[in-house]
Amino acid sequence: MKKAVIVLVVLGVVAAAAGWFLSAPTTLNQAQLAAFAPGDAAQGELVFWAGGCTSCHAAKDAEGDDKLKLGGGLRLETPFGVFVAPNISSSTADGIGAWSLEDFANAMTHGTSPDGRNYYPAFPYTSYARMSGADIGNLYAFLNTLPAVEGKAPPHELGFPFNIRRGIGLWKRLFLDPAPVIAAPAAGGDVDTALWERGRYLVEGPGHCGECHTPRNLAGGLELSRWLGGAPAPTGEGRIPDITPVEGGFGSWSAADIAYYLESGFTPEYDSVGGEMVHVQENMAKLPASDREAIAAYLKAIPAVVQTAN
Amino acid sequence: MRMIKSAVVLGLAAGIGLAGTIAQASDDPIATRQAIMSSVGAAAGLGGGMMKGEIAYSPAAGKAAIATMRAASLSFGDFFPAGSDQGKTGAAAAIWEDPDGFSAELAKFAAATAKASEAAGKDGPADVEALKAAMGPVFGSCKSCHETYRKKN
Repeated sequence: MKKAVIVLVVLGVVAAAAGWFLSAPTTLNQAQLAAFAPGDAAQGELVFWAGGCTSCHAAKDAEGDDKLKLGGGLRLETPFGVFVAPNISSSTADGIGAWSLEDFANAMTHGTSPDGRNYYPAFPYTSYARMSGADIGNLYAFLNTLPAVEGKAPPHELGFPFNIRRGIGLWKRLFLDPAPVIAAPAAGGDVDTALWERGRYLVEGPGHCGECHTPRNLAGGLELSRWLGGAPAPTGEGRIPDITPVEGGFGSWSAADIAYYLESGFTPEYDSVGGEMVHVQENMAKLPASDREAIAAYLKAIPAVVQTAN
Repeated sequence: MRMIKSAVVLGLAAGIGLAGTIAQASDDPIATRQAIMSSVGAAAGLGGGMMKGEIAYSPAAGKAAIATMRAASLSFGDFFPAGSDQGKTGAAAAIWEDPDGFSAELAKFAAATAKASEAAGKDGPADVEALKAAMGPVFGSCKSCHETYRKKN
């Protein structure tokens, strides 16, 4: 009996130690860091719009130059609690002005803060992890040119167990994977592979489209088998639409329709964009036309996700 | 004197008749506002089709698109009575929770169509560039309102 207790205690300690070890925030190693160099701010501005940073980190309803003031504060009300977007302006005291490129790269690709804590995946590093070192360097350079905004955003409002940041380390082991989601263009039709791959990069990486358009499992990880197949809205009422080439749905949009929607905000039926997608569309409208065409080419050649009865 | 009286009576009768028509239309405010919005969609389709070059431009068609938007912008907001958030509607709860915000969006829509109508003049915008200039702010008011006051799909 005594022996059994000792065995149980030892097992418990081992499990706790393993949990502690597995939940540790990870960072890039020295070899990986070599891929990053401070880049070109002008290129970084395009990355900034592709990534939609401003949609969460600027003040709500910001217009024009106010979109470049990244003081944070936007509240994302989700089933896990309320996430408050932090200050990522160039303020050294309250923003990320004091960050090195290494700090920035670790945040973007590993969801790990400079002081070694896990970020919650409301910050979509699960997508940003697919970004190129060059683009992260360019974005770093651009963010440094933006105005400093003083004042920290309030903390997240999360209940147990979601308030345990350490636990996100385990979550990351399960759901943080920088590999492409769709390996190759769907068969059928002639696809311009270079254009499709550019579209894949934008959609799966900086554009982080999957974060809202793909359903999540109970643990909050994306169900990659239903990639971009539509999902309940993560905030507020309604559904985020299926944007796979499914018959009787988004499949009826031509590539030109998709590119035009991203440029103008109008669907083929001249319904207008709505909800959070308004910001996404306005960001996408700032990209070169070739990037919108690339996104369209990708969305036309991925597996269709058929809706099950709901 | 008698003539004036008759005119007043006739006018009143006409007024009541008109009121009767309106009451009839608002028996189903959801259907009414959806019909108005579908006319907006058709006008946007005509205007947008010409801007894209898919439909040959004519000033009369440009004017028709703008006039449709104008009429809709003045009437649309009247068909959101309390209780009409229930049923098959894309109208978001925010319309009734924040009526002032919704009114501000409607005012933006009306202001944009007023300017567009003025620019269109008697004969309609002279060319596609003129149509784009007139219609641009009207199109902008679509998503500005849909961002908050329409349900997601």
